Amino acid sequence: MKITDCKLHTEYQIASILATEEDMKEFLFTLGCYPGERIVLISRLPSMYVVDIKNSRYSIDDGLAKAISVRESGQPASVRVVGNAV
Amino acid sequence: MKIALAGNPNSGKTTLFNAITGKIEHVGNWPGVTVEKKEGSVKASLNPGKRNLIVVDLPGAYSMSPYTSEESITRDFVQKESPDAIINIVDATNLSRSLFFTSQLMELGIPVVIALNKSDLIQKKEIVIDTELLQEILGCPVVRTISTKTTNNGLGSLVKAAQQVFDEKKQQRPLHVKGAKPNATKSEMEQIDKNRFTVVNDIVDRVERRKSDSSNHTIQDKIDKVVAHRWLGIPIFASIIWLVFSLSQSWVGPWLADVLVGWIDSFYSLVEGSMGENVNPVLATLLLDGIIGGVGAVVGFLPLIMVLFFMLALLEDSGYMARVALVMDRYFKKIGLSGKSIIPMIVSTGCAIPGIMATRTIKNERQRRTTAMLAPFMPCGAKLPIIALFAGVFFGDNAWVGTSMYFLAILVIVLSGLVIRKITGDTSKSYFIMELPEYRFPSIKRAAISMLNRAKAFIIKAGTIILICNAIVKMLQTFNWQFQVVGQSAPETSILASLATPLAWIFIPLGFGIWQFAAAAITGFIAKENVVGTLAVTFAVTNFIDVEELALVAGSADVHTVFGIGAVAGLSYLVFNLFTPPCFAAIGSMNAEMESRKWLWGAITFQLGMGYVLSFLVYQLGTLFTTGSVGAGFLGGLVASFLMVGYVVFLIRKGSTSRQKSLVEEVA
Repeated sequence: MKITDCKLHTEYQIASILATEEDMKEFLFTLGCYPGERIVLISRLPSMYVVDIKNSRYSIDDGLAKAISVRESGQPASVRVVGNAV
Repeated sequence: MKIALAGNPNSGKTTLFNAITGKIEHVGNWPGVTVEKKEGSVKASLNPGKRNLIVVDLPGAYSMSPYTSEESITRDFVQKESPDAIINIVDATNLSRSLFFTSQLMELGIPVVIALNKSDLIQKKEIVIDTELLQEILGCPVVRTISTKTTNNGLGSLVKAAQQVFDEKKQQRPLHVKGAKPNATKSEMEQIDKNRFTVVNDIVDRVERRKSDSSNHTIQDKIDKVVAHRWLGIPIFASIIWLVFSLSQSWVGPWLADVLVGWIDSFYSLVEGSMGENVNPVLATLLLDGIIGGVGAVVGFLPLIMVLFFMLALLEDSGYMARVALVMDRYFKKIGLSGKSIIPMIVSTGCAIPGIMATRTIKNERQRRTTAMLAPFMPCGAKLPIIALFAGVFFGDNAWVGTSMYFLAILVIVLSGLVIRKITGDTSKSYFIMELPEYRFPSIKRAAISMLNRAKAFIIKAGTIILICNAIVKMLQTFNWQFQVVGQSAPETSILASLATPLAWIFIPLGFGIWQFAAAAITGFIAKENVVGTLAVTFAVTNFIDVEELALVAGSADVHTVFGIGAVAGLSYLVFNLFTPPCFAAIGSMNAEMESRKWLWGAITFQLGMGYVLSFLVYQLGTLFTTGSVGAGFLGGLVASFLMVGYVVFLIRKGSTSRQKSLVEEVA
């Protein structure tokens, strides 16, 4: 599932990042946003998502929110979340 | 010795820099406020040893692998100019992200001291950090600092620690990150960086305990819901800007200006009185009407500018302006820019030069160049006196003039962005990501410092460039080509008039084909404040602000008569000055950031065309609505406007056919 489908204030684990823009993945990495790390959706604003990564709040647009795939936290890495995955 | 300040964006580097050097560089709570390195020496009270201690403030960076060009300034400086020590500023509320950069800095072989900044906030957030353990694990001094406080802020110990690590020459051992080596390949780097984060996470687990985390700021989120609302976002922004203009232009500004103009008047009389009868009349008028009158007319608007900047600084400090970027992102996406472009534009409301420099935070080249081209359309501090003057003379000091100019600028930017995207044919989209600063009660002190900074720059400019320009204008107006003093009866024979008259012809379709206005528009390219100064000198209105009337531009009826144009033409002239190219200094800055002659000349031509066509529309449509018939020179202006718009359409067509061609070639 994508960030856009996350429940608010619930911890998720980043599964993969598929960013089309050059270097964006690397940049996200330096913020601590990479597969395996936790991410929390804090608020939905019009075409914007406020997320918490490593105790910092970022607002990301829907394009980027769709580029970040997550799975519910606490599940083994091999289990793929189906459910409301897009 | 040279000490570099490095750290993540918004960790408080510039605040700390100001606190240890006593300087007053501009601080902000979003990335892009510091986009170049700044140097200063440590102030005496923190430097008891009286050593030569130079501190270098660097743009914020998240890592040693730069994402945008201002981040590379930081990397290049610490790598190539090898400072003697690095003070790594770590946001204490954000240890887990900050230490990633720290671990990279420690591999450079330069002694590192850590400033655990914002230490006052960790108590509020119930975070406990074991500083001693952190120091032991990292193997470098860790000093708690609160750079916003003036006493007991840890800065003395920090400066001392930096000198100590340098003097001891003891090699600091970098953290053990598995596989870390210089010159790693990209795929190796990825693995190393993952290991690096593992090491950092480990350290944070050991030294930090936090109770609440930042996922619970419900009040903040509620405010966000309102100010970034789909429909309310823009009206709220508009009302706030209107409030800012109305406070500065209609209430507080005039009241303060009144006092200041009183002083300028008495100074004028003092100089006039002390010169007596024996001074050469040409010299006397140069000094009185040219220099004191011209500079005085500009300086009279200083209180207005100060009030405006004070309030904009409060807004920025509160965290609201970052939300404006969120609101605007949606609209800017439609024109091929992103919310990132709004930051240079907001900075440009102070001065276009730092605004254009702030485009360095934009990664996409076309977006960066487009933003550098459009940011100068925002009404900067130097354009405010022009706005205030025309709002006063023609519209009774109404705040809607400033507000509508502000939003007209945004509209012009949106339209131009669309046109430029069509011309370049680049349809690439960018993601938007921005760290969201928390709302806070804005600091009166920070706003006051920012305001005084602006005021200082304004006064310096008035006393140098503006003064010289006014003197030259007065001289050119006083003499004719035979260097004889021009008589009262034939002002149009002066050098200035004969130079400006041909230009005035071009302005007839815009409603202000009068040589004084043409001359003022030209001197405006040297500095926009000159427009007001030159109008004051050429029309011999020594000051626009009347002490009796308590209005920003008083005797506005008189000035109105002297100007000899109507309100519609006044508005058209205002629009012309706001939307033609910025001053030469800003054009120089555009040149530096665009790194392309083609773009620079394209931008200047575009801005000239924009100013001309817009004021043509304002004057002719305004005249049509108010009088029922079009104004003077309609046909000529229409032809000129059609040619300009036609050329842009041609460029768009050319762009799209060449793209189709390349598509066809690709397919074939």
